[in-house]
Amino acid sequence: MISLPLAPLWILEYLGSLLVLILNILSLRLSQRLVAKDPENALWLFLNWLAIAFLIFAVTHMASHTMHDLITYWNLPNLALAQRIFGGFDTVIYVAIAAITLFFHRIQRLYLRMETDHHHLEETSHEILALNREMEALVMERTMSEMALGMAHGIRNPLHVIGGFSHRLMRKTDEDDPSRAWATAIAEEARRIEQMVERFENLALRKTAFFAQEDLNVIVRSTLDLLLPELRAKSITLVSEPCPEPLVGRFNKHLLKVALAHLVRNAVEATRRGGTVLVRTAREQQFAVLVIQDTGRGMPQEVVEKVFVPFYTTKIGGTGLGMVFVRQIVDEHRGVITLESKVGRGTTVTIRLPHRFTDRPELDEFPPAAPPEAPAAP
Amino acid sequence: MRRRIFQICPAVFILVLLSPRYVLAQWVTWYQFGTEGSYVHETAHVLLCLSMLSFIHEIFHANLQKFRGFRLLVWAWAILAFWNLDAFIGHWADWTLKNPVILGQGWGRRLAMDDFQTWLVYVTKIDHSVLLVPAFYLFYRGLKALVQEPGGEFHD
Repeated sequence: MISLPLAPLWILEYLGSLLVLILNILSLRLSQRLVAKDPENALWLFLNWLAIAFLIFAVTHMASHTMHDLITYWNLPNLALAQRIFGGFDTVIYVAIAAITLFFHRIQRLYLRMETDHHHLEETSHEILALNREMEALVMERTMSEMALGMAHGIRNPLHVIGGFSHRLMRKTDEDDPSRAWATAIAEEARRIEQMVERFENLALRKTAFFAQEDLNVIVRSTLDLLLPELRAKSITLVSEPCPEPLVGRFNKHLLKVALAHLVRNAVEATRRGGTVLVRTAREQQFAVLVIQDTGRGMPQEVVEKVFVPFYTTKIGGTGLGMVFVRQIVDEHRGVITLESKVGRGTTVTIRLPHRFTDRPELDEFPPAAPPEAPAAP
Repeated sequence: MRRRIFQICPAVFILVLLSPRYVLAQWVTWYQFGTEGSYVHETAHVLLCLSMLSFIHEIFHANLQKFRGFRLLVWAWAILAFWNLDAFIGHWADWTLKNPVILGQGWGRRLAMDDFQTWLVYVTKIDHSVLLVPAFYLFYRGLKALVQEPGGEFHD
């Protein structure tokens, strides 16, 4: 019969336990250094607690196994009580380590969530800041344009008077009268100033810095391409129905992209998995029409009424400024935004943008483009 | 930290002291298979193994494996998980081993390898001691790497 020596087992056990004890003491010191570096860090606190638990484990494990061997192989039954106590603590410490580790599982999830929210908030803040700056610049330019137009108008009236009287003077004076040349010079200079005012007016009307000839279909397509991963992640079907003909107008494509992205994201948030979001563009008289329709939970009338009120939000962590910006963007395009929603059926947002900077249309003129029915399958 | 340890230790002691007898089953005969204590001990090994695997999963879920320190911790956890399985089997084999034949005296004692179970006891006893050393060495190296490398500031 084969027999194997027990001594190597004991040597391995005692030596191994001793090494484990030393390594755990060193690990505990390292974990304390980590905590000292950042006392608020949950991960370091967890590792510190774990190192403490492992150190207790090293002690109880070494004691209980040594005693077990002494009792079994060295016939020392007097150690039974001590072995029971240490062995019992060994079990308790296993459960404690498991509990600490599983607790960390939850903490780590919370940390990740907090971190994601933090990044999201940072991104949103940057977006709002950038949008705000662009809005300020836009409003400033519009104000300057209006001031310039007002000044031009103010200059034009006295110029008409000066020009008219100088022409009358010219007619009433003789050919050889030296004052006729003066009247001619006044009339010519008045006409030159009038031409300058006209050019000035044209320049002020153009607003070339912020608005350019753009196709609304192209703006919508490029925005939807960016948002497609978000829709896919929620298994939402995107139905895009672009107008067959180009919808060219004087638009600010950056601002319109921001507005459209916000509206589509709102639709995605409101729509359940497997739902549909429809984005349609169309021509309607002198307007380019953009419709965003979802099959989401919809909003009651009292919420719809407050959608464009600054800081009003139904979202946890929302700023309540998104829809306000959207309306301001539409306003800057001299457009109109309308919103219709029915609880349980969905929401339809309709934006009408004039192709040219004509007078702003009246809100009551335009009902929403379509009722919030479920959009057709693609 | 010390203050907390000084608070927790007496609390645990008082809890144990005041616990009803059946709650303390694990302290009575945890090393005899079939008793409440042995079941509690074996279950604790399984729980510890699962928690180690859960931690590994968490490291990968949080994408922390890109830091060397956490990679070393993952290896430490993996060995500890394996150690728990080994301990589970080893305890069962050891506690159910009937009348092991021990030859000789003192340090010269030898275990007669009667059957498969005796071999299992012998091998798992070696594993039980051997596996813990690399596991805790990797735990130590992992913490050391976290103290030194920039990954130590992951949550900053």
